[in-house]
Amino acid sequence: MMSNETSVKDVNETTMSADEETRHCVRCGLCLSVCPGYRESLNETDSPRARVALVQAITEGVLDAPNERYAGAFFRCLLCGACTFVCPSGVAVDRILELTRGDLAEQGLLPEALAELDARIAQYRNISAEENEGRLIWVDNLPAPPTGLGKEQAEVAYFVGCVSSFFPRSYQVPQALVQIFDRTGVDYALLGGSEWCCGYPMFINGEMDKARDLIRHNVEAVQAMGVKKIVFSCASCYHFWSHSYPTALGVNDLEDDLGIEVMHATEFLADLLEAGALPLQGDEDVREQVVTYHDPCDLGRKGGVIEAPRRVLAQLPGVRLVEMAENRDSSHCCGGGGNLESFAPEVGQAVAGSRIRQAAETGAKTLISACQQCERTLANAARAERIRVRVKDVAELVLDALDEAQSSEGD
Amino acid sequence: MEKIITQLQETLGTEKVLTAPVDLVAYSFDGTFEQQLPDVVVLSESTADVVAVVEIAAREGVPIVPRGMSSGLAGGSIPMPGSIVLSLTRMNHILEIDEENMTATVEAGVIAVDLEAAAAKRGLFYPPDPSSNKQSTIGGNIACNAGGPRCLKYGVTGDYVMGLKVVLADGRVLETGGKPIKNVVGYDLTSLFIGSEGTLGIITEALLRLLVQPGFVHTSRAEFLSLEDASRTVNAILRAGVVPATLELMDETAIACIEEAMQLGLPLDVEAMLIIETDGSDEAAVEREIETVARVCRENGARKVSVAQDEAERARLWRARRSVSPSLARRAPNKLGEDITVPRSAIPEAIRRIKAIGTRYGLPIVVFGHAGDGNLHPNVLFDRRDPEQWAKVEPIVGEIFQTALDLGGTLSGEHGVGVFKLPYVEHALGATSLDVQRRIKQALDPLNILNPGKVLPDM
Repeated sequence: MMSNETSVKDVNETTMSADEETRHCVRCGLCLSVCPGYRESLNETDSPRARVALVQAITEGVLDAPNERYAGAFFRCLLCGACTFVCPSGVAVDRILELTRGDLAEQGLLPEALAELDARIAQYRNISAEENEGRLIWVDNLPAPPTGLGKEQAEVAYFVGCVSSFFPRSYQVPQALVQIFDRTGVDYALLGGSEWCCGYPMFINGEMDKARDLIRHNVEAVQAMGVKKIVFSCASCYHFWSHSYPTALGVNDLEDDLGIEVMHATEFLADLLEAGALPLQGDEDVREQVVTYHDPCDLGRKGGVIEAPRRVLAQLPGVRLVEMAENRDSSHCCGGGGNLESFAPEVGQAVAGSRIRQAAETGAKTLISACQQCERTLANAARAERIRVRVKDVAELVLDALDEAQSSEGD
Repeated sequence: MEKIITQLQETLGTEKVLTAPVDLVAYSFDGTFEQQLPDVVVLSESTADVVAVVEIAAREGVPIVPRGMSSGLAGGSIPMPGSIVLSLTRMNHILEIDEENMTATVEAGVIAVDLEAAAAKRGLFYPPDPSSNKQSTIGGNIACNAGGPRCLKYGVTGDYVMGLKVVLADGRVLETGGKPIKNVVGYDLTSLFIGSEGTLGIITEALLRLLVQPGFVHTSRAEFLSLEDASRTVNAILRAGVVPATLELMDETAIACIEEAMQLGLPLDVEAMLIIETDGSDEAAVEREIETVARVCRENGARKVSVAQDEAERARLWRARRSVSPSLARRAPNKLGEDITVPRSAIPEAIRRIKAIGTRYGLPIVVFGHAGDGNLHPNVLFDRRDPEQWAKVEPIVGEIFQTALDLGGTLSGEHGVGVFKLPYVEHALGATSLDVQRRIKQALDPLNILNPGKVLPDM
């Protein structure tokens, strides 16, 4: 068991400074071609190459100390990671952003809307300023209370995430997932009020220090339940747990060192389906449904979970997947990342519009994703752009298939 | 300058006019290590915007630096103090694809690869493919007459330009060329602006020729233990009667840099690699050609020749080739990529001499490029903060240029002159050509406000 005294490592201590990270940049500009923000504004200031140049400009004295405009250039970014992925010189733009945002926050240059978001999380333990005990309101509409409700010990913990807990339009994701768990006899627990915000919004605002309480609390809460696995339907919670929790807790690996396996729901569902644990109909019994799949940045490119959702879709009867022009680790951001919804919503909306148009170009009538934030953002974009593409989570599609199998059994 | 900024804001609206230091930094550089802050940046959205900026600049005698995505490698879009950077990236509309006449009319800010994709959707083909085709604009490609791997068979950007819309230095809008393929009325003004690097006028629209998609492509990779064998093979392939779409050469350092950055499984024990692609509409012919290529490679000492089995493998090979230049950053903080061309027969000798220059000065020079058309990219790797290394760069470059000229070649095949090659222009052109070119510049830009100090050295 971990104690409260677990030393918290400084995430910056072992690697290079932001300025050193910029040294490999040859200003070729390839990052502009994949940067969703730049592709909308077509203003170089919004590009990864410019951010690299800005860091250098401070070091070289071309610019005086950072000001609000400077900070704005670093916070107007969706953190989709496409620039880092595509960079042929291997510049860790993501790391440059992380370090610079940290410095800016320390210098009091965190934009007000973002500082308010962090203060809200610190006070309420969630992003939406509602009482944290209300995290499970979404269970009220279910046909039966989920078996994971109020369970104190379980093999699996389901970490719902703030978006699905507090934004009614996203309730259907956890609702679908717990119904699948219940029908397959998964031994799982819901955390309810003892689930706190994972801390990711604070980390990306450059306030990692403030996230540490949340991180410690969450890990202790799941450890107290004796869980072996923690499953996430939120791609961002999943990414933060798997990539930053170990460093913040001073361990190498959550599974090896703490005995907790971190899994995204799509990985869990893919395993269930391939083990034959879900009763489905044969392909011939259902009508074809053409879908496209949007890789969430935090899950795909940044999290490495690319095939699991596709493995799930491949198992579902009648479901035919057509890929968008930019897919897998080259996926285009949904526009919902980087806390821009709080800071610069117009950037995210423009990006979301482009992505939903890409989806429509495939001819698919349904866009499937595996992240509540992507789904919210893209569903809003479909409405705004008047594009007739429905947006659903992988879990919802699995539940549909189970329902169909069940109703045909009853026939 | 304040007066000019006010005029720009009043005419164009404040949203298109950037003056914050943060914005000026973002528009201060290109694909090289040079940088200089402009005084103001304008994000133009139409030819009318460009006219407005030019009229103000002409009235006030202020220099304008036209800018696409600024991926250039010669310093051509680096601003000068007191200048206006005129960005054309927001003019990114494909205005028409005429399937019958096989032409495209595009705004200057269209990204090259986007045009290629739009044409491909209709079974048409826009061949120019500079390595920066994802991050460079058609306007910039025309202004530098950009080449690319496919030049060997398909020619350079300029070969596809049928007409232009250009804003002149006095604010008038000139239209050149048109859809008729043959047109000999008056001077060929279209060609005058191709490769003019924004010094004669600002290109805002282009009418481009398209071909039909080739349909079948084969890509192969040949590994050579000796760089000489590889460069000899280039000529042997062409002598065998095959015109590959591309014939690209990378030396061992280039291969090692890509491998270090991207881990693609490239061989690290060879001196050179050729990437050769044949294409066409007749599947059997394309296949026959790649077989001939493979045979010639083996006859000339290739250790191994492999043909890409699928599109993914082909894409991987090209991703490697396109990454050569940026991946060099893994080896040294700075690089200066040159762009000499020599007659094809002189390639082995050129490479030998360039490598010798590097050895003599003790700085690595990586060589890769479009060997099929004699266009080599020797890249000098160095650390600019080390004064000893920095002092060697200029003499090295001078010797590389001299080598090219001695072998009957020239300074630049596709990057342009920009600012970096200025000291060598007179030597390359000769006095008469330089004088004629200066008179052209003076006739079109008497106030010297269009990208001054680029392409032609000051008197």
